[in-house]
Amino acid sequence: MNSPLDSTVLFQIGPVPITLAIVTTWAIMAILVIGAFALTRRLDLRPTRRQAALELMVATLDTQITETTGAAPAPYRGFIGTLFLFILVANWSSLVPGVDPPTAQLETDAALAVLVFLSVIWFGIRAGGVGGWLKSFAAPNPVMIPLNILQSLTRVFSMFVRLFGNVMSGVFVIGIVASLAGLLVPIPLMALDLLTGLVQAYIFAVLAMVFITSAVESGAPSPPNTDLAPSQTKKES
Amino acid sequence: MTLDWWGLGLQAINVLILVWLLSRVFWRPVAGAITRRQEAAQALLEEGKTAQAKANAALADIAAARTGIAAERDAILAEAKTAADKVAKATLKDAQTKADSLIAAARTAIDRDRNTARKENATRATELSVEIAARLLDRFNTPSVQATFLAQLVEAIADMSASDRAALIASADGTTIVTATDTEDAESAKIERAIKDALGGTPSVRLVTDPSLIAGLELRSGHFVLHNSWRADLKAILKEVENAG
Repeated sequence: MNSPLDSTVLFQIGPVPITLAIVTTWAIMAILVIGAFALTRRLDLRPTRRQAALELMVATLDTQITETTGAAPAPYRGFIGTLFLFILVANWSSLVPGVDPPTAQLETDAALAVLVFLSVIWFGIRAGGVGGWLKSFAAPNPVMIPLNILQSLTRVFSMFVRLFGNVMSGVFVIGIVASLAGLLVPIPLMALDLLTGLVQAYIFAVLAMVFITSAVESGAPSPPNTDLAPSQTKKES
Repeated sequence: MTLDWWGLGLQAINVLILVWLLSRVFWRPVAGAITRRQEAAQALLEEGKTAQAKANAALADIAAARTGIAAERDAILAEAKTAADKVAKATLKDAQTKADSLIAAARTAIDRDRNTARKENATRATELSVEIAARLLDRFNTPSVQATFLAQLVEAIADMSASDRAALIASADGTTIVTATDTEDAESAKIERAIKDALGGTPSVRLVTDPSLIAGLELRSGHFVLHNSWRADLKAILKEVENAG
């Protein structure tokens, strides 16, 4: 068994090594996009059960964003929702025989963490401008500037380490147990891995949302809108 | 342990692309469907409110119209009542006038009938009185009364003019002496003689009986009657009473 910390390079495109995690990510992306396209082809005013389930998912996400940020969910829905869906599918891809979840690789989790870090900056600047975003580091007073800068780095680092550690350890444990105890013994652990994957996806998405919210609230010139999700969705265009 | 920076970058790009793609094909379409349904529901609500407002306005119009109809009905009823009262008063007045006329006419008729009845009663009372008197007098038809009537007749003949007496004597069919009761021959002869003596000459005299005289003697010829009886007296009284009434 290979070390989970190692990346398996399948082929090279120029100087770029294409690892198994990247290919799996592409597959997950294809499944998600094609599936989303297929599911959202015929949306009507009279929803089918499929549409109702999709709308329930989006409404739940909007409610979660609104309850966490207190702001309209539309600007964050795409990023946060995609993060959650991708991490969830990636985590659960370990259940497919022969597939290693991309989130069990450091690069993937680090890439997600980097995206969250950049999105915090992006949403912070968009809400309060560059000055507002920089000022958010001086909250509650300028003495906290070094600590805030360090915090903005370490919290992202802790995110991807948490995700990587949980998923990798799950894959590792299942691999060990499967190699030792045959076919049926890993099943409870795999079921536990399902729960772990869901929880980790939720935690990652919620933390990303909280970080973005803190940047937006600190840099914003005015108090955020505290309207609830159902009324906020009307602002979507 | 090494970090594959190419892999990190590629995965970041992959996730970014996924975010973009899912935003286009999943999040926005589903959120748009929710928004469209909310807008449709809102539009339906607004339409319902508009319809409700229109219905309320129509209801208010109907209520106003109904109030107007009620007022108009009251006015028509009041007008009809006034007209009916006027007609009733006129009718009542006309009826009162007619009733007064009828009452006056009835009173006049009653007075007339009463006068007529009173006259008739008076006439009948008079006739009855005369009848009673006749019956009473009939009981007093005695020879002395007869003798008195004979004396009065003779006196009446004596009071007649000579020409009248000559006419009686010359009467072709003779002179009739009417008595109330049958008389005996001697009495008859006495009466004839007394009358012949009063008339003078030789008149043709015959004696007849007429009980309706009650009592008395009368002298009759073809064109002359000399009344001298209680019947004649009673007739004279009756005539006087009738003329007085």
